[in-house]
Amino acid sequence: MASSPAAASSRMELRPFKLPEPHRAQTSNGLRLLVAQRGKLPLVALDLVVRAGSAADPPGKHGLADLTARLLRRGTAKLTADQIDEAVEYVGGSLFAGAQKDYLSISISAPSEHLGAMMEVLGQLVREPSFPAAEFASARGRVLAEIANELDDPGALADRALELAMYKDHPYGHEVNGRAAHLRALAREDVIDFHRERIGPAVSTLVVVGAAEPAEVATAAERAFAGWDFGPPSPPPTPKPDAIGAPGQILIVDKPEQTQAQVRIGAPGVPKGHPDYFPIAAFNAVLGLGFTSRLVTEIRVKRGLSYGAGSEVDTLAAAGTFSISSFTKTEASRQLIDVALGEVAKMRKKGPTAKELRAAQRFVTGLFPARLETNEALAAAIAELEIYGLPDDWLQRYRERFAAVAPKQAAEAAARYLFEGTPTIVVVGNAAEVSVQLEDLGSTKVMALAELE
Amino acid sequence: MPSKTPNGPPPELAAVSSLTEHTLENGLRVRLLPDDSVPTVSYFTFFRVGSRNERPGATGISHLFEHMMFNGAKRYGPGEFDRVLESSGGTSNAYTSNDLTVYHDDFAAEALETVVDLESDRMRSLSITDSVLQSERQVVLEERRLRVENDTRGLLDEELASLAWKAHPYRWPVIGWRKDIERITRQECMEYFGTYYAPQNATVYVAGDFDPEQALALIGRCYGPIPKGPAAPGVADAEPEQKGERRARVHHPAQAPSLMVGYRAPPAKDPDTLVLDLLQYALSVGQGSRFVRELVYRKELAIAVGVDWSWRIDPGIFQIVLDLKPDSKPEQVERALFAEIDAVARLGLTDREIQKAKNNLKAHLLRELATNGGRAHAFGTYEELLGSWREGLTLPSRYQAITSEQVKAVAAKYFAPTRRAVATLVPTP
Repeated sequence: MASSPAAASSRMELRPFKLPEPHRAQTSNGLRLLVAQRGKLPLVALDLVVRAGSAADPPGKHGLADLTARLLRRGTAKLTADQIDEAVEYVGGSLFAGAQKDYLSISISAPSEHLGAMMEVLGQLVREPSFPAAEFASARGRVLAEIANELDDPGALADRALELAMYKDHPYGHEVNGRAAHLRALAREDVIDFHRERIGPAVSTLVVVGAAEPAEVATAAERAFAGWDFGPPSPPPTPKPDAIGAPGQILIVDKPEQTQAQVRIGAPGVPKGHPDYFPIAAFNAVLGLGFTSRLVTEIRVKRGLSYGAGSEVDTLAAAGTFSISSFTKTEASRQLIDVALGEVAKMRKKGPTAKELRAAQRFVTGLFPARLETNEALAAAIAELEIYGLPDDWLQRYRERFAAVAPKQAAEAAARYLFEGTPTIVVVGNAAEVSVQLEDLGSTKVMALAELE
Repeated sequence: MPSKTPNGPPPELAAVSSLTEHTLENGLRVRLLPDDSVPTVSYFTFFRVGSRNERPGATGISHLFEHMMFNGAKRYGPGEFDRVLESSGGTSNAYTSNDLTVYHDDFAAEALETVVDLESDRMRSLSITDSVLQSERQVVLEERRLRVENDTRGLLDEELASLAWKAHPYRWPVIGWRKDIERITRQECMEYFGTYYAPQNATVYVAGDFDPEQALALIGRCYGPIPKGPAAPGVADAEPEQKGERRARVHHPAQAPSLMVGYRAPPAKDPDTLVLDLLQYALSVGQGSRFVRELVYRKELAIAVGVDWSWRIDPGIFQIVLDLKPDSKPEQVERALFAEIDAVARLGLTDREIQKAKNNLKAHLLRELATNGGRAHAFGTYEELLGSWREGLTLPSRYQAITSEQVKAVAAKYFAPTRRAVATLVPTP
């Protein structure tokens, strides 16, 4: 190698970038507060995160966390759904509530002069939602229709199939919006119970970013969340999956009308906060991040096979996956998979070159500050630190830690973590035309759409 | 000479009070918006060309050309643009619309010189070879398969446009018809570049952490030598008056039907445009907006309703998109939607709805200003579509001044059945 790793990283100059130091506080009922004051604009983002994501859906009740989150705003003891909408939207604010895998979040963006009123609404939603029966039935109907519509979106369908293939019956195996059969069997009482049992201050954090004084936030939060005294004392642990993926298996979701095949290739990865995260993220950046990654170069630039190609390190609390994602005309499905697997093999064998790694480090570190430019983005990033127990200086030191990865470390990480076993392949497209191309690649199994509902 | 923003923009626009404007001798317009909140820069180049400037037979050339802009010029050869940019801590993207082609780079502040060099190189001396054109054509065809041919909304959107316009180039999709994409020649691309990518047809916006004097000198040095080009030909607009409702049905395998309705609307510079902005917010933004509240939550006929009201240089379309349930009856949904629209056309909005929409428009303008990219894009868009970036400074007060009578009059004028086009997706097994 022409340049030693130490020289490579020491030459990388990072322009100073100061994030606002989050101010920590706690309400008397145990809700953690993190306030990052910044901004010239009179705007504020509130993000209330609760450790009750889709991984906390009870068996047979997949979709319950997300449905509960969505229903919080459809009526409380004091306010109807229309009044809640009016309270937030009249002043130019917007409200979102929904689940992720490891947590659910309720967030409001609004002009900062209305911070107190927005906090009152948030407090109402988590303390005393009324879950009107008609709203429950109506919301469930919408989710079922959304799932049906997702079956018409080849990309979303491929993601859904990969998730199921990777995690199977594990709590991470279903999409946050759940499964149609489970949703049909849910009762309003399930939502009421989930709220009482899972959504409480001890497992929640409120992050506020923008034009807001920490003291003002603390006072408003104390008032707004007073009386929120239920929920679990600690977050339910998510078990580690026994095995991830179906090595060597090729799952084909049949969509005979499609002229393009969506391809996903997945394998086990690492959980959030893993000690080797930075070397893994570094080789992944070379393999599949941005427009000059090896995958884009080989698939799009050199061969014109696709409009997009990339790879992703997806880390969650209890496990993670590594996946490649692309699409091409049906007749080129095999070629696309061969090219992608060829790049994986090369990366496993030799890792990135020093030059490639350095370019990827500049790419990621140079743009990192822009990723946290909005109040909403910074609030979400701070919330994740809290949920995943990442160190307080994680964001501030992200650039230097990414820049410090040496070629040898990235190569070792690639050899060890990149498709450790045989990957699982998912293709959404015309099964008849795709299967003949893939028969000698592994055991193919055609999935009906109904299996993914 | 730079001319500063006129005194007294509203306080929420203090973030753009540093905007200066310049024009090089070759006609290139340069707008600088320094702000050191974050150590990055956002760099936009707006070319005044889109699918509106195309001719039948070569539809999609603007978008195909946008792809070609990443494939090599004289100093930075094929693949070099992105390689140099990304390895300098930057990323690039671009989009083509009916009216504009817009290139966008975000990067670490220290890469500004590199970016100006890269961008001016491709404006000065793009190279177009047959082999690269051939390969990029395949990429665009994959994009078309992704966004249109295998996407029910894309199919419907394409159908609606060719229904709403009979003669104006807005009738064909920005990505172009498949056979045109397959046919476009290198020679046509070369001519297109010479005409539409000349400096007087472009505006550069730079926002973020940089020194404006140094940046202007740098831009002058790199772009200055590019010669002015010929004047661009006019747009073929022979659009006749619409005499009645138009309808189309698209039969395609799907789980659920869906519905798109468009009303012929004014050009961006028309004063009615801002009133339609207000109507868009009142009708479709937020769960409490009228269409969403009535059609999704009260009547439970749709699972989502959105309005796409995009400003355009020539008369545009106020487009309503509805996602339905598998057992929805499109005719029934249509009737309910038209009843809502008729009510607005007859009665306008309530005072509270109008004030709420104004509050939301104000918050929206503020949010646009929260990032370097948002500032550059917003003010560039005002300049290209409203005629001047200064229009952006008066938008908040112009929205505030809209009266209930204006809302009613504009709704009555544009939400007439004779201005309507309806496209329905009919699921086949």
